Amino acid sequence: MTSARSQSFVLGLIGVVLFLIAWEVIGTYRLAGLTWPPLSTVLVFLTTPAKLPLFERATAASFASVGIGYVCGGAGGLVLALVSHLIAPVRPGLDRLVAVIHAIPSIALAPLLIVLASADATPPVISGLGVGYVFYVAATSGLATAGAAHRDLFVVLGASRLSTALRLDLPSALPAIASAMKLSVPIAFIGAIIGEWFGASRGLGLLIVSAMQNFQIPLLWSAVLITAVASLSMFALFSLLERLVQERMR
Amino acid sequence: MTSAIFELSSRVAQRYWAVALVVAGWQIWVSAAGLSSIVLPGPLAVLTDFVGDPLSYAEPAGRTFAVAVVGLLFGFVLGSALAVLSWSSRLLNGLLTPLGLIFTSIPVVTLIPIIARLLGYDVRTVVAIVALICFFPAFVYVGSGLRALPPGSDDLFRVFGGSRRQCFLRLVLPSSIPNLMLAFRLTAPEAVLAAVVAEFLMGTDGLGHMFRKAAGEFDTERALATSLIATITSVACFGLALAAERRVLRRWT
Repeated sequence: MTSARSQSFVLGLIGVVLFLIAWEVIGTYRLAGLTWPPLSTVLVFLTTPAKLPLFERATAASFASVGIGYVCGGAGGLVLALVSHLIAPVRPGLDRLVAVIHAIPSIALAPLLIVLASADATPPVISGLGVGYVFYVAATSGLATAGAAHRDLFVVLGASRLSTALRLDLPSALPAIASAMKLSVPIAFIGAIIGEWFGASRGLGLLIVSAMQNFQIPLLWSAVLITAVASLSMFALFSLLERLVQERMR
Repeated sequence: MTSAIFELSSRVAQRYWAVALVVAGWQIWVSAAGLSSIVLPGPLAVLTDFVGDPLSYAEPAGRTFAVAVVGLLFGFVLGSALAVLSWSSRLLNGLLTPLGLIFTSIPVVTLIPIIARLLGYDVRTVVAIVALICFFPAFVYVGSGLRALPPGSDDLFRVFGGSRRQCFLRLVLPSSIPNLMLAFRLTAPEAVLAAVVAEFLMGTDGLGHMFRKAAGEFDTERALATSLIATITSVACFGLALAAERRVLRRWT
């Protein structure tokens, strides 16, 4: 078992390295034209001391949006899920509302938000809406997973609805919530970046779109690379957490 | 008869009260605060703009829909093909699976500007972007479907002397269909959204372009009506995919 696992790990590592080599080779020999820079050029560009303040500022702004959106969206989704779990009659209406908000394209929400809030508040709000949707869906289904026997026990012992929710349903929803924490990471980043495409004053999204329009190819690829690596590492971290929770709750 | 109508309306009220509340609150707020329609028009004004000239929305909506569907199909054919390839070879599987997982855990939307620069500002680029965004879910879901066989079924094929090809065509491929349809339903609305974002960024035809033009001219009623159409298109795609999934599953299981 362990040898099979380590074998697949090594193979996966080789796959990733091959991908990076392909990126470098295609860029070096210009197989995909002038707009595909080799990996090394992007890395050199990223580590140029003169560029560091630019990246630092943009990254800090975007990560703040992602963080605020993630935390507020996650908390909001959880609270809404708890409300719809505790007060059964409101649930169909809330389900629909959340689904409709989710179906509105985020680029269509952005101008509305710029009016309602401000250009700088738009990235965290869009990211929060996306994250909230994932949390709401995962938590509503997770809250319903407690076993019938446990539920009967709580009823027999005279637990109130609220304490049943907090002591039985919430703990049994933890694995679903942990999955939502993992799955909403890329969504939080997408929301922040799209929000920034609509006239935020700083951030990686702004960097990406202005680099696209001004043909600054290494800058474009660097900003995308930062976003991808950040999302990937946060995703990996939360997958570990998800595994821990699942093992603990089994 | 009246009781049926009553039942229907109470079901609608039960499901849509929250949406109706938000829309009503929006209208009341706009009327009460006396906001100019450039800043934020009420839902009634948006609806009037749409009803006044529905045909001008139909063409861009049709274009976006077509681009999204073509891109979706391309992405799914490529993703499924690669999943099958990586099923047939353990080496390829080991090499590709982590890459597929990596690409599903990064914000793929940020790749749109890169693709736009690589391929040029063109309708084909929008198709390529939609295909790319649909490719990874197809690859991951079909790949896991190809491996999730009913327990013991592959032993049965081996015992009866089925060849590897027979096993693939009659067992593995059919058993991946439910996962394929699940991925289809999940990505269909995303395909529309990706198409709209790509059109918005590049200014090619379609709803995204229409939206950008309207927002640039401060025609906020038209911009919001465009969002409404984009939402309806995305929901329609989801509905179609859901119907397709149900239909396929009924035949399949």
